[in-house]
Amino acid sequence: MDTQRVVSVIAAGVVATGVISGTLIMLEVQMRYAMHLFDAVARFVGLPGQRFLGFVIYSFAGVVVWPLAFLALRPYLPRGPDPAAQGAVFATALWVVFVITGSGGLDGPILVVYLVFTLLAHWAYGFTLGAVYGYLTGETPTARGEPAAW
Amino acid sequence: MGRIPGIVLLGGALLALATVALWRGRPKRPRRDGGYVTGLDVGTEKPANFVVRWLTTVDHRDIGVLYLLLGTVAALWGGVDGMMIRTELLTPTTTVWDVETYNALFTTHGLTMLLFFVTPVFTGIANYFLPILIGADDMAFPRINAIAFWLLPPSLALVRGGLITEVLGKGLEFVGVSVPILLDMRPVEMGWTMYTPMTAEMANPQIDVTLLGLHLSGIATTIAAINVIVTVFCERDEDVGWANLDIFSWGMLTTSAIVLFAFPVLGSALVMLLLDRNFGTSFFAVEGGGPELWQHLFWFFGHPEVYILVLPAFSLISYVLPKLVGRHLFGFRFVVYSTLAIGVLSFGVWAHHMFVLGMHPQLRAAFMVTSLSIAVPSAVKTFNWIATMWYGRLRLSAPFLFCAAGVGIFAIGGVTGVFTAVIPYDMRVHDTLYVVGHFHLIIMAIIPFSMFAASYFWFPLLTGRLYDRRLARAQALTMIPGVLLTFLPMLVMGNDGMPRRYAEYPEIYHPHQIVASIGALLIGVSVVLWLINMIQSYRIGIPVRDADVWDLKETNQFSREWRWFERRLAKQGGAAVGEAPEPEAETRQAEAMVEDWDEDDESDQSGGDASDAGDDHADDDHDAGDDHADDPANRGGADEGQGE
Ligand code: HEM
Ligand SMILES: [Cu+2]
Repeated sequence: MDTQRVVSVIAAGVVATGVISGTLIMLEVQMRYAMHLFDAVARFVGLPGQRFLGFVIYSFAGVVVWPLAFLALRPYLPRGPDPAAQGAVFATALWVVFVITGSGGLDGPILVVYLVFTLLAHWAYGFTLGAVYGYLTGETPTARGEPAAW
Repeated sequence: MGRIPGIVLLGGALLALATVALWRGRPKRPRRDGGYVTGLDVGTEKPANFVVRWLTTVDHRDIGVLYLLLGTVAALWGGVDGMMIRTELLTPTTTVWDVETYNALFTTHGLTMLLFFVTPVFTGIANYFLPILIGADDMAFPRINAIAFWLLPPSLALVRGGLITEVLGKGLEFVGVSVPILLDMRPVEMGWTMYTPMTAEMANPQIDVTLLGLHLSGIATTIAAINVIVTVFCERDEDVGWANLDIFSWGMLTTSAIVLFAFPVLGSALVMLLLDRNFGTSFFAVEGGGPELWQHLFWFFGHPEVYILVLPAFSLISYVLPKLVGRHLFGFRFVVYSTLAIGVLSFGVWAHHMFVLGMHPQLRAAFMVTSLSIAVPSAVKTFNWIATMWYGRLRLSAPFLFCAAGVGIFAIGGVTGVFTAVIPYDMRVHDTLYVVGHFHLIIMAIIPFSMFAASYFWFPLLTGRLYDRRLARAQALTMIPGVLLTFLPMLVMGNDGMPRRYAEYPEIYHPHQIVASIGALLIGVSVVLWLINMIQSYRIGIPVRDADVWDLKETNQFSREWRWFERRLAKQGGAAVGEAPEPEAETRQAEAMVEDWDEDDESDQSGGDASDAGDDHADDDHDAGDDHADDPANRGGADEGQGE
């Protein structure tokens, strides 16, 4: 692995983690704490109740682990060659496990909202990860082809 | 799940996969060969630093883009409120959120949508396109333009402060500082109409902050309106007279005039309310002006406000639709007259929101008559749109689907509105979901639909790239049923007497509410599709090489903004200059030429070597050209001879 790619993907991970954290915080407040998103994060990290430590591990995963895995898996992810679209696919997989381990005691309508919004938040993470990475490394492809009439 | 936390599962699986991947090495990919146009570069003299450039810009197109971004953010935020409202209403009892949250939701939803989504988006479109359409270099007051925009983000933050202060408060608590006032400011719950005495008496300090924010947004909107008015009056190019001013500029001009008279009334009322709340005045107290005074002042602003929202949408449809169906706008002149008529009449109907208040019967009847008569200009427009589509070349592009569906759903919303203008029926449905269904069918259909249509229609011009057509059509085809499913059930429930603004409802409405919420989910999916399309097409869409994306030359509607775009493309080497029109198109064009400037236009285009500048001055906007011939439908050639 060359260093430039690794540095770029970690930088992208910082931005993407910022994006998903901001989104989750706003969602939690907007939903008047009915979704217990941070408890879900803590459960996901395996430290129910320990929000601060959970937060540290969550950040580490978001900034280092997932981006490196993304970098390594990228050649095999569908929707290439655009890294941002691949990032969104990658994040969908993360989301599946997140909701399996993290959605706690929610059920009924609130569960639907939880699923939809956490999926969108994960997509934002993956998309940002890929887009920033592509921007930094210049691996975002340029479209080609004949323009259609309408 | 059992003992093993998800992060370990996922991390393990991913690392295993990654090891395999790294070990097997990166598959070979063909290299790019380069040499393709990659979209438009933005101007060259602007500051190189991205942040400085966007914070200090006074360029009308940049400011237009900023408005569009702010409006999109607000729409998504207000949309989340809307989805949360619909989630609460999935169950007859308040099982999801609680009553306070519900009240806060419809309040912030209404305020955000009306003042921070619709108005900024239309102001943004106007900022970008109006100077181009009227041949001006920029808006009349570029710096004031920037100020008007930059007042909006803080006012949005003030209006929705309850949430933001809470995030701040919790954040400070996290690091050990406690600022109780930040947590005391809860999201406001008074409804967008802010009726007194309730709003004067509620304790929540955030209400004062919200009122200030609303006042600030009113100032911003008024400044922007003045700028539009002055621009249209003073900055037109010599060859743009009143007679050939395009329909979109007419709409924005009228809207801005309404803003100029309506928003100061709101501003004054808000100050009075603030004084009542904090300084013991009694403008709206029973012993003073009385709670009804608020309603008069509010609705003297509030009713024109709905036309401030909807007139730009009307004029966008009137501008885009003819180009998409390849015919000229039917009855151009009457569309302009109806716009002006709405502008005037909208101030004369405010008391129709107050029929149940018990005013003098004769006065009430008078307001009923004015309210019914304002339906006439709207109907004129609807007929003209339909007549424009008649015998048009209907291609099912996404913007066309949005225009056509917008007109259709607007018709439903409009007719249900006529019912509410009739006093006896209004007594029945006042403050029920019927009203909510009615106005959403109007504002949801024509406003976002016209915006979606414009976003697709002008996407190539704005970004230099093409959007994904399939995705766009899929978006239109989820949005349209979504809107109908969401809001038609509300008409039924309201007619049965289900009041609005209630988080709870009788069991019998459960099926209706579920249908409505499913519709809302469809709307949400559709919005996500739109976002994906906009972002991805902007990043990696196919570059435009021929400015005539919509085959407008063929029908002689290659209007100013597209010619401007063609010159830009030519400048950066992306398009062939003065490409000769197809022979067939040329004959059809020749048939359609009646007016002098049309003939100029023809010689320009078939000459094939017109210089950019000459091209610009020789031909006028052809929508506007219609206005000179008395009956636009009759002046056309073979392809548009279907008149009255
Ligand atoms: C996603 C689409 C939308 C959904 C699902 C939705 C849903 C709702 C619902 C359920 C209410 C509350 C009804 C009540 O109990 O009184 C409401 C109120 C309202 N909506 Fe929407 N809406 C949507 C889009 C819009 C748009 C685009 C606008 C404006 C441009 C808008 C403006 C309003 C206003 C002004 C109110 C009244 C707020 C109040 O009562 O204070 N909505 N909406
Ligand atoms: Cu009204």
